[in-house]
Amino acid sequence: MASLSSAEWRALCDKFTTAQNLSEVESRKDPANDPFRSKYKARELLREIYCALKSFETTEGENESGDQRPTEQPVDGEREDGFGRGFNGDSPAGLRAAKLGAVEYYLGVNHIETEELSAGQEHLMNCMKQLEKCSVSSENVSLYIHVRNQLGILWAGRDETEKAQGFLETAESIYQRYMKEVSLVLAYTHTMYYLAQVYKNLGEIERAATYCHSTLQRQLLLNQYNPLEWALNAATLSQYYITKGRYMEGRHCLSAATVIAGLAGEVPSEAAAQESETERERRDQLRQKRAEIARCWIKYCLNLLQDAEKLLQDNIGELDTERQEELKRARRGEEEAEEKDRKSALLFGSEDTFDSIASLEEKVRCLFPLDFTEARAVFLVGQTYVTQAKEYFEIDGYVTDHIEILQDHSALFKALAFFEEDLERRCKMHKRRIDMLEPICNDLNAQYYLLIRRQLMFELAETYNEMMDLKLSLANRQADTQPLDNHTIKKFNHLCSSSAKYFQMFLDSLCSPEGKFPERLEEEVLRPALVARFRVARLHSRLICSVPSAQLDNLNKSLDNYKYVVEYCEAHPEAVAAVETELELSQEMVGLLPIKINRLKARMATNN
Amino acid sequence: ICEEEVGAAQQMRPMLFPRDVCVFLPDLPLLQVFAFDHCFWSIDESNVPKYAGQEVVFKCLGEGILENAFQGYNACIFAYGQTGSGKSFSMMGNGEQPGLIPRLCCSLFERVHREENEAHTFKVEVSYMEIYNEKVRDLLDPKGSRQSLKVREHKVLGPYVDGLSQLAVTSFEDIEVLMSEGNKSRTVAATNMNEESSRSHAVFSIIVTQTLYDLQSGNSGEKVSKMSLVDLAGSERVSKTGAAGERLKEGSNINKSLTTLGCVISALADQSAGKGKAKFVPYRDSVLTWLLKDNLGGNSKTAMIATVSPAADNYEETLSTLRYADRAKRIVNHAVVNEDPNARIIRELREEVEKLKVQLCQAESMKAPELQEKLQESEKLIQEMTVTWEEKLRKTEEIATERQKQLESMGISLETSGIKVGEDKCFLVNLNADPALNELLVYYLKEHTRVGADTSQDIQLFGIGIQPEHCVLELCPDGDVTLMPMENARTCVNGTMIDCLVHLWHGDRILWGNNHFFRINLPKRKRRDRLKELERASPRESFVEADVETASEASSEQDYSYEFAQMEVIMKTLGNNDPMQNVVQVLEKQYLEEKRMALEEQRMMYERELESLRQQLSPEKTPQHHRSSSDRLTFPMHTSHSKLRLWTEERDELFRQSLSRLREQVVKANTLVREANFLAEEMNKLTDYQVTLQIPAANLSANRKVRPLDHTSNHPILK
Repeated sequence: MASLSSAEWRALCDKFTTAQNLSEVESRKDPANDPFRSKYKARELLREIYCALKSFETTEGENESGDQRPTEQPVDGEREDGFGRGFNGDSPAGLRAAKLGAVEYYLGVNHIETEELSAGQEHLMNCMKQLEKCSVSSENVSLYIHVRNQLGILWAGRDETEKAQGFLETAESIYQRYMKEVSLVLAYTHTMYYLAQVYKNLGEIERAATYCHSTLQRQLLLNQYNPLEWALNAATLSQYYITKGRYMEGRHCLSAATVIAGLAGEVPSEAAAQESETERERRDQLRQKRAEIARCWIKYCLNLLQDAEKLLQDNIGELDTERQEELKRARRGEEEAEEKDRKSALLFGSEDTFDSIASLEEKVRCLFPLDFTEARAVFLVGQTYVTQAKEYFEIDGYVTDHIEILQDHSALFKALAFFEEDLERRCKMHKRRIDMLEPICNDLNAQYYLLIRRQLMFELAETYNEMMDLKLSLANRQADTQPLDNHTIKKFNHLCSSSAKYFQMFLDSLCSPEGKFPERLEEEVLRPALVARFRVARLHSRLICSVPSAQLDNLNKSLDNYKYVVEYCEAHPEAVAAVETELELSQEMVGLLPIKINRLKARMATNN
Repeated sequence: ICEEEVGAAQQMRPMLFPRDVCVFLPDLPLLQVFAFDHCFWSIDESNVPKYAGQEVVFKCLGEGILENAFQGYNACIFAYGQTGSGKSFSMMGNGEQPGLIPRLCCSLFERVHREENEAHTFKVEVSYMEIYNEKVRDLLDPKGSRQSLKVREHKVLGPYVDGLSQLAVTSFEDIEVLMSEGNKSRTVAATNMNEESSRSHAVFSIIVTQTLYDLQSGNSGEKVSKMSLVDLAGSERVSKTGAAGERLKEGSNINKSLTTLGCVISALADQSAGKGKAKFVPYRDSVLTWLLKDNLGGNSKTAMIATVSPAADNYEETLSTLRYADRAKRIVNHAVVNEDPNARIIRELREEVEKLKVQLCQAESMKAPELQEKLQESEKLIQEMTVTWEEKLRKTEEIATERQKQLESMGISLETSGIKVGEDKCFLVNLNADPALNELLVYYLKEHTRVGADTSQDIQLFGIGIQPEHCVLELCPDGDVTLMPMENARTCVNGTMIDCLVHLWHGDRILWGNNHFFRINLPKRKRRDRLKELERASPRESFVEADVETASEASSEQDYSYEFAQMEVIMKTLGNNDPMQNVVQVLEKQYLEEKRMALEEQRMMYERELESLRQQLSPEKTPQHHRSSSDRLTFPMHTSHSKLRLWTEERDELFRQSLSRLREQVVKANTLVREANFLAEEMNKLTDYQVTLQIPAANLSANRKVRPLDHTSNHPILK
C-alpha cells in the first residue's frame, strides 16, 4: 500500500510546522535587501509537502474521480449551490482533497505575501477546486471559509470590491448553513471582519458597523480577545452609534467597554510602577485606556444633551415649552418596549459579565432628557467621567487632551444651561465655563497651540456675549421701567468688551507674522472670521456710554467692522454663501449706522 | 512591454509638465498624473538643462524654511521614498554635493555669525531620535539607552520628548559628528534588537533660540524655533507593515489581522460624523504625526520630499510613494471652530435695524431743522432698503426693459452706452448742458432718416418747435450726407438757420426746434479732408462754400460741446438779421466815443489841478527845498496818471461785462420769445412776440458810474 505511514505523515506534519514557523516568525527577521528569504524557504517546503501528498495518494486508486471533473472555474457569488456534492467530506477521498486543498491554500497565501499575486490567486483557485470535490464537513469548513476570505482580500486589493464581496458573502453563507453542524470557528470571525471592511470601502457604513459589532460579539463569545483592546474597540463603536443618534446601542457598547476593561485587572500602584518598567507600562496603559473610555462616555452624555437641546429649542435657541409638553406626552412607555426589542439583537457579554453591563447601563438614560431634572442627571454622569478622564490626562504632559476634556466640560455646562429656567443660575453656569477656559487660553503658547487657542477664544467670546445678554435680561426683568443702575451698566460693559476682546483676539490670531490680516481667508476660517467681525461690530454698538465722543468712537468701530464684512464679500463673492444672513444685516447696518452717527454728531454740535 | 514604458515616462514626461509626475501602470493602459509643487529631475548629471542639483533643491525648499525659523516659527522637512531612490542623497548628499541638511546648517550658522551681536544672541541645539514601533529612542544618548522615551506636551513648550538629549552646537561640523554618531547608535540598536532600520523613522531637530536684549533696560526676550528633518521609514516597508500610520493607507485594501479592528471602527465613526457632532476616537495618530502636529498647521512651514527611482522594476513602489506624498499634501491639521448658532443675535440686530428706521421716521416728523435735510436723505435710503434685494433687482430690470423699449422705438441705439463704440458709423449724438446727459443718446442714421415728433418718424423728438415731420437726413450712395428741413421746421446747422437742402460734414452741429442740439458723426466725411481735396483740385481758387468753415475751426471737431453749439446759434442769430445787434453796436460806438471824451475831460481837469498847484508853490523856496518839493510834486502827478489808467481799465472791464450780460439776457429773451412764438403758433394765436431793448434816455450815457445794466432799469422788456 502506498498510503501514508504514520511516520511519513508525522514527517510531513513537521515539515509543515517548520514552514509555518519560517513564514510567520523567521520572516520578520529577514534583512531589508532580502525581505522574503524565509517566505521563499517556506514555499519550498510547502511544495515538497504537496508533491508527497499527491504521489502517495494517487496510488490509492482513486484517480478516476478527481481529474475527470470538469475544470470550470468556481466563481463565488454566482453559484452557491456547488457544495455537498462529490465525496463525502469525511471520506478518505474527501480528506485527501481537503489536504491537497489546504496545501494549495498555504501556497496561495505564501505567493500573495511575496507579492506574486497572480500565482497566489491560481493556488487559491486550485484549493477551491479541491474543495469542490468534497462536501463541506466539520474538518474542512474552516478551509472553505479561509480560502474565500483570502480571495476576498486579494480582489479588494485590486480595487474589485464587488468581486471581493462575492467571495466573502459566500463564506458567510457557508458558515451560516453549516454552523449547526460544526463548532464555532475563528475563520468566520475573520469573514465578518473582512466583510465589515468591504462594506466600509463600498460606503455602506451602516452595514459595516453591524459587521464590526458582530466581530466584537464573536470575539467575546469565543473568548478570543484582549480586554483592553476589545474595550477600546467597543468604546470607539459607541462613537459611531452616537453620531447616528442611536444612544441605546452607544450606551450598551460603552457599558460593555467599561466592564470588559475592568477584566484587564487592577491598576498597579504608583509604588509598584516605580519598581519595574513593566508595571509602569501596565499602569500607564490601564490608566490611559480607562481614561479614553471615560472620554467616550463624556461624548455620550454631551451628545445626548445637545441632541435633546436641538429637539426642544425654538427658532432663536430658547426652550420651546409647547414642544417639551408634546414630547413628554409622546414618551409613554412605548419607547422602552421598543428598546428591549432592539437590544436583544446586539447584546454583548457572557453570563458573568451580563449583569454588570446591565447595571452600568441603568446609571444613565438613553432617552432624550426633556427637562432640567433629566438633563441634570445626564450632566452629572458626564461630569463624573470628566473628573475621571482628567485624572490621567493632566494638563502637564497632555495639554491637548486635557483642553479637549475641558471644552467638553464647558459644553456640558452650556447644554445644561439651556434647560435651566432661572437666569441667575444660568448665568453662573456660563461663568463656570469662563473660569475653566480663560486661564488656560491665556497660558498656552500661541505658536504650538494656535488652532486650539482659536477655538478657546471663540468660545470665550461667545460665552461672555451670552452672559452679557443674560445680565441685561435680568436687569430688565427686575426694574422694568427704571434705567439701568450704574453697577449693572458697569457689569454689562465689562462683559460686552470682554466678548469683543476675545473675538478680536481670534481675528488677530489669523494675522501673518508681520501682523497683517490676510486678504483672503482660508476656507476653514472664512465663516468664523466673518462672523467674528460681525459680532465685534454688534458688540461695539451695544456698549453703554454716557460720553458722546466715546460713543461716537464705538459706533465708528462698529461701522468699520460691518463694512469689512460687506467689502470682503464684494471682493470675494464666493464668501457670500457662508454668511448670508450676517451679510444682509451688515449691509443694512452699513446703510443705517452713518445716519445714527450723524445724528450723534449733530447732537454733539448743538450741545456744544 | 508596459514595464519598459514606466522608465520612459519617468525620464521623458516630467520635463513636459514640470510639476507633474506621470506614471504608466503596467496592469492598465492608464497614465497616472500627480501634481506636486516642485519636481526635481536628478537622474543624469551630464544632462545639464534637465539636471536639478542639490543647490536647486535647497533654493526651492531650504531657504524658505530657514527664513521661517529665524522669524521664530517651526519648520519641518519629511523625506520619503524607497531604499535606493536617493532619499539620503537628497537629505545628506555626499562630499562634493552636500544635501539639504548640510546646506541648511551651513546657511544657518552663516546667518547666526552675521547677525549675532551684543543685543541679539543665538543658541543652536540639536536632538536626534528614532521612532520604532511607536516607541521613541534617543539616538544621541551616550549610554545608548534602550529605554523608550515618553512623548508629552507642555502648555508653553509644546510637544516634547521627555528626557531627550539636546546638545549645543556651534558649527555644521558639530552637527555632522552628532548625526553620524546617532546613525551608528541607530544601526547598533537595530542589530541588537533584530530590527530593521528601514522600518523606523528618524527625526533630527535643530532648535534655534534667539535672545534679544534691550541693553538699556536690561530686559530680554526669547524666540525659539525648531526645524525638524524627518527621515520616514522606507516606503516599501511602510506599505507592508503599516508603520506610517493607518490613515495614509490605500483605500480599498483589507487588513487581515483583527488587531486593526479599532482602525476600521474609528474610520466608521469618522465617516458618519455629521456636522457639529463631537465624538472622541481613542485611536490616535502615530507618535510621529502627534509629535509633529504643530508642524502641520498654523504658521509652520512643512515640506515633503518624495524620492522615486525611474527603474522599471520599481514602478509599484514609485506609485505608492507618489500616492503617499499626494495624500500627505492634503493633510492639514484642521481644527474647526465650533460656533454657536447665533439666531438670537441675528434677531436682536434685526430689531435694532427696525428701531433705527423708526427713529428716523420720528425724527422726520419732529422737523428738527438742522436735521431735516439729512433725514430726507435717509428716508429715501430707508425706503430703498426696505425693498428687498430681489425686489429691487426685479424692479430695476423691469425699468430697464421698459426704457430700452421706449428708446428703441425712438430710434436710439442701445448697442452702445455712449458714442465710443460706433466710431465708424454715421450717427447723431445729443448735446446737453448737463454733462451727465451730454452725448448720451446715439441715433444711428439710415439711408433715409426722418426726424419729427410723429410716431411714424425714425427719430422721434418732442418739445417746443419740433414739427410732426421736421426734417429728413439722407445718406447718399456716393458718400454725401444731406439734410432737408421741412417747411417751418426750425433747423440750424452750425448755428445757421436752414430752409433748404444742405450738405453735412463730420462734426456739424444741428439744432432742431428750440433746444434739440445734436452733433453729427460722419467719420468718412471730414471737412478737413474735403478742404484739402478742394485745394488740391484747384489750388488757386479760394473756393469757400457757404457752409464750409475754416480748417482751423474744423480741426477740433470732437470737442464741439453743447455750449459751443448754443453759442454758435446765438452769435449767428445776433450777427445776421437781428435789430438788437444794431442797438448793441450803437451802444458800443457810443461807449468808445464817450470814453475818449471822458478821458480828454479828465486830462484837462488834471492839468488844471497841476497848474493851481504850481501857483501855490512860492519861488522863494530854497533850492534844496525846491528839489524836494518837486519830488513831492511828481508824486501826485504819477498817482493821477495811474489812477486814470486804473479808472479806464475798470471802466472798460465794466463795460465788457455789462455788454456780455446784456447779450446773455438778450439771448435768453430771444429764446423765451421763440418759445412763446412756437406755443402761440401751436395754439393758433396770431401773436408775434419779439424782443425790444428799451434804454431810458438818462441811462444812455455809458460813462455814468452806475451798476452795470441794472436789472430794474436795463432789463429788456417783453411785449
